[in-house]
Amino acid sequence: MQAIEVNHISKSYGRVQALQDVSFSVGKGEVFGLIGPDGAGKSTLFRMLCTLLLPDEGTLSVDGFDTVRQMKEIRQRIGYMPGRFSLYEDLTVEENLIFFATLYGTTVEAGYDSVRTIYSQIERFKDRKAGALSGGMKQKLALCCALIHSPSILFLDEPTTGVDPVSRMELWETLLSLKERNITIVASTPYLDEVRRCERVAFLDYGKIRGIGTSEVILEKFKDVFNPPGIDKETSDSSRQAEQNVIEVEHLVKAFGTFRAVDDISFSVKRGEIFGFLGANGAGKTTAMHMLTGLNQPTSGTGRVAGYDIRTEYEQIKRHIGYMSQRFSLYEDLTVSENIELFAGIYGMDDRKIRTKREELLRRLKFEEHKDDLVSSLPLGWKQKLAFSVSIFHEPDVVFLDEPTGGVDPSTRRQFWELIYDAAARGITIFVTTHYMDEAEYCDRVSIMVDGKIAAIGTPNELKQRFQLPDMNHVFTYLARQAKRSEQ
Amino acid sequence: MINYLIRKELLQIRRNGFLPKLVVVFPIVIMCVMPWVMNMEVKNIGVCIVDTDRNTESQRLVHRLEASNCFVFKGQQPTYEAALAEVEHGKADVILEIRNGKYLIAANAVNGTKGAMGSAYLSQIVATQTPVPSAKTTPTAETLILYNKHQSYKLFMIPALLAIVMMMLTGFLPTLNIVGEKEAGTIEQINVTPVSKRTFILAKLIPYWGMALFVVTVCLLLAWGIYGITPAGSLLLVYILAMLLAVFFSSFGLVVSNYSDTMQQAILVMWFFVVCIMLLSGLFTPTRSMPTWAYMTTYINPMHYFIDAIRTVFIRGGDFATIAHEVYALLAIGLLMALWAVQSYKKNS
Amino acid sequence: MKQFYSFVIKETRHILRDKRTMLILFGMPVVLMLLFGFAITNDVKNVRTIIVAPYLSPQAQLAVERLSASEYFTITATVPATRDAEQLIRRQQADIAIVFTHQHQNIQIVTDGTDPNMAQQWTNYAQQVIMNPSTTLINTKMLYNPQMKSAYNFVPAIMGMLLMLICAMMTSISVVREKEKGTMEVLLASPVRPLTVILAKAVPYLVMAICILVTILLMARHVLGVPLAGSLFWIIIVSIIYITLALSLGLLISNIAQTQMTALLLSAMVLIMPVVMLSGMLFPLESMPQVLQCVATIIPPRYYIEAMRKLMIMGVGIHEVSREVSVLTIMTALLLTVALAKFKKRLE
Repeated sequence: MQAIEVNHISKSYGRVQALQDVSFSVGKGEVFGLIGPDGAGKSTLFRMLCTLLLPDEGTLSVDGFDTVRQMKEIRQRIGYMPGRFSLYEDLTVEENLIFFATLYGTTVEAGYDSVRTIYSQIERFKDRKAGALSGGMKQKLALCCALIHSPSILFLDEPTTGVDPVSRMELWETLLSLKERNITIVASTPYLDEVRRCERVAFLDYGKIRGIGTSEVILEKFKDVFNPPGIDKETSDSSRQAEQNVIEVEHLVKAFGTFRAVDDISFSVKRGEIFGFLGANGAGKTTAMHMLTGLNQPTSGTGRVAGYDIRTEYEQIKRHIGYMSQRFSLYEDLTVSENIELFAGIYGMDDRKIRTKREELLRRLKFEEHKDDLVSSLPLGWKQKLAFSVSIFHEPDVVFLDEPTGGVDPSTRRQFWELIYDAAARGITIFVTTHYMDEAEYCDRVSIMVDGKIAAIGTPNELKQRFQLPDMNHVFTYLARQAKRSEQ
Repeated sequence: MINYLIRKELLQIRRNGFLPKLVVVFPIVIMCVMPWVMNMEVKNIGVCIVDTDRNTESQRLVHRLEASNCFVFKGQQPTYEAALAEVEHGKADVILEIRNGKYLIAANAVNGTKGAMGSAYLSQIVATQTPVPSAKTTPTAETLILYNKHQSYKLFMIPALLAIVMMMLTGFLPTLNIVGEKEAGTIEQINVTPVSKRTFILAKLIPYWGMALFVVTVCLLLAWGIYGITPAGSLLLVYILAMLLAVFFSSFGLVVSNYSDTMQQAILVMWFFVVCIMLLSGLFTPTRSMPTWAYMTTYINPMHYFIDAIRTVFIRGGDFATIAHEVYALLAIGLLMALWAVQSYKKNS
Repeated sequence: MKQFYSFVIKETRHILRDKRTMLILFGMPVVLMLLFGFAITNDVKNVRTIIVAPYLSPQAQLAVERLSASEYFTITATVPATRDAEQLIRRQQADIAIVFTHQHQNIQIVTDGTDPNMAQQWTNYAQQVIMNPSTTLINTKMLYNPQMKSAYNFVPAIMGMLLMLICAMMTSISVVREKEKGTMEVLLASPVRPLTVILAKAVPYLVMAICILVTILLMARHVLGVPLAGSLFWIIIVSIIYITLALSLGLLISNIAQTQMTALLLSAMVLIMPVVMLSGMLFPLESMPQVLQCVATIIPPRYYIEAMRKLMIMGVGIHEVSREVSVLTIMTALLLTVALAKFKKRLE
């Protein structure tokens, strides 16, 4: 008997066809990947498998039970981690875990083994409220909660969005170890290395299955979607880097009580440079960025951004920077062109200039047809491209990007990076955080933060040579594993 | 740049499927229904008569009672105890006992106003029927009622309704505004732009002032159209007062919003203050009857100034000189609150 | 059972962690009781009175002395002409004017009629004070509330409103918040029975509502001096029926609403407004037009407030309120059934 059987299911929301005649099956103990761009219908499929949605047509069976008629039996056998953060923010880490353990009729002690590798990383925060955790740590906790009762089938909807490479690797090792206990896993992910770990994958696009097979076959067959050609760094480095520093930071510290989130960091970024600001979850990246953008005051240390002091002249800094935050930061209830006009207007651009530049931008992004669409109706990748374009619309000196491509599929990410290169060529300095190590390779220079300190800084090539490692992924893993905070 | 921010606020209000409907429907429903509801007129008081004298007197009394629209005759009972049982059942409100040519009026005073008014009316009816022997010594008194000549509760309540509608719309909607942006995460994006605190807050306030203007107009038109009630004083003064109240409530809403983390918190806190402001303002009960400590709070209660002033203009037909004091007080409190709204908005921590 | 228990703990934590909301939920009853008990009264007191007398006869002199001696009236000015008095009233510097005419046999009472009820009461009191009428024929007796305190009337009303607010609004929001945050998805996909989820949500609010009920009753008895004339047992029982009803209403709202905003507005506008306006707590139902009186028959707090007024203040036995209690019970059963049947076990 197959663990999951899906027969010719279709589902539509109003006029939008979310899934169309989808059929596949997953064997017992298999690790099955669901991949495809944002809006392909992956989440809908997950919800149907978890008996949360009813199909319009077709049947689904999970562990031999029908999702429509035998809801109760299925719900006892599955674990589910939805795509968005789904814990109680006002409960502590430990309280969340205990609650979910009891929910599935087990205890934390009984299920501890299955979550040990992940939970040990967040256990030191067990008395902290879940809402106060950084993005990646929330994700880890959510995973622990879904794994604690060792279900026979596990559904994971993009479980690693916002999680750093080291933790992702550990997480997948844990998942694969579950396989020994004959647990079936269905997961969706935008990361190629994770896709490769799946035994079989189904590629979903516009609600239809485009192909099912081993990961190698699928990745090869749809190479142009998943493995777009790299970007040529043709702009010569010398022309951009001769100029003055745009960001200068010395001995910057931010402490919350006794906890030093940012612990004495110093670095500088030159005009027109693409600076990758890397670090594991909770290393202090977002805190550092908040200080540079004037959202937060440093505890000690000095810094200048675009020539202004971050302690005293933060309002002037704001005139000369752009910012795009982790959370999507456009107004969802305004249209594309209204958002552009709003932010341009805020920076004091005059009407005529806004109009001409807006048309030009829409043309460049190929958004002309969608300029009167509400932002909430756009797919995630488009939103992110738009948000970036809006953040550099007023031609700032520096633009700060906080994990701009989290959860975005490979081909859209590539387009996004083309925009970044474009901007850098125009002399805009890019300060970017990311968990994609292929993106780290695109940067002119990178720094890697570990435990609130900068552990290494240099060009990707320099770092690879210094540590004698083949790629940035290994460099990052090597440095991030030295983190000590978790043992305190 | 403020025009872009204002446009954004207006667009957001328009895009919200619920708010535009609320702004239009709410004043209409309130103005159509509430004047009938908020009616403290004492009417349909159930009277039970216990007549031990058994003469024609009680017959005539019953006729008089039925003629007045104040009372409903609920039948005769043989004894006082039986009548009391009727009161306990909730069938009657007042007992009139006639014994040896004397009258006893016993009123259910759980609702104090109703009891007092009921017994007062009833004793008037009884008194006019029975000639008072000592009439020769007492001078007759006549009553002249000013302004609200027909004793209409609607006329009394319409300015109050105007106040309530303004408070609900220009108070509660801004309360949800900033905290909503906090929950959506867009506030962070605004905080890294060079928009000044003053501009940002002002851009949030102005749409609500426009809304207030619209709401006042709707309310006044409905009062005129449905009830034929128009302000006795100058229309301009009514608008000025309403706008000043809008300044206060919209700023107050933003202050609460600035200090709150979730919408639920914001609404509850706002609700708490609104109830206190409303109850202590003299909207329903006279402020003069309050004990001194409670009366002192009316000096800082903008609603109190508003309701005093609007009733003077609307019902008593006062001119600017009669309400100057209230206008200045409202203006001062409103501006203070607006400053606080700017002050409490934190662009960085 | 263990699941249920841990659910209740979780809900309790949600409530306890939000300090500001807690403060409001427990502060509200206390403040409302104090305001209604002491500050909000319709008593005739400190009425600002003007004497209009071009010439004061000894008789008028006597009347003025009586007026100023009474606690109801405060004489603020003496003016020569009625027009001056009218001016002062318009400026809100006086409420009533007593005009002694030349014939000094007739007295004219000029009142500010803006508030019709108060105007009526002011003239009544003024007449009584001035004329000292020999009403030997008519005796008046105020039943149940001899000092005519408004608290007697308002305590049951506050109970009706607050219990509805806390149970219906807070429960609906707490369910909808889980939908909005995505946690409901996880709960539904778990083996927990939906009924457990719902009941566990209701329990902490039930406990809280009972705490608030007790606070109100204690304050009513010891601070406001309102007698709890009836049987405490039945007061509590009827209140619990009412609380259950409010909880069911909250659950119904949470089934309809998808966002917290909608739930808030639904409970505030669609629920609380009719509760305050049409339950007879502030405004007498008898004076309303027939249509509104019909609408009012389906407003649950109306029956609760009615029953509480009778049980608490009038001190009648339970059989006297059997109609109200049975209506409440039927409504509760109906709403609870609908709410549980309508609870969605899947997403939409």
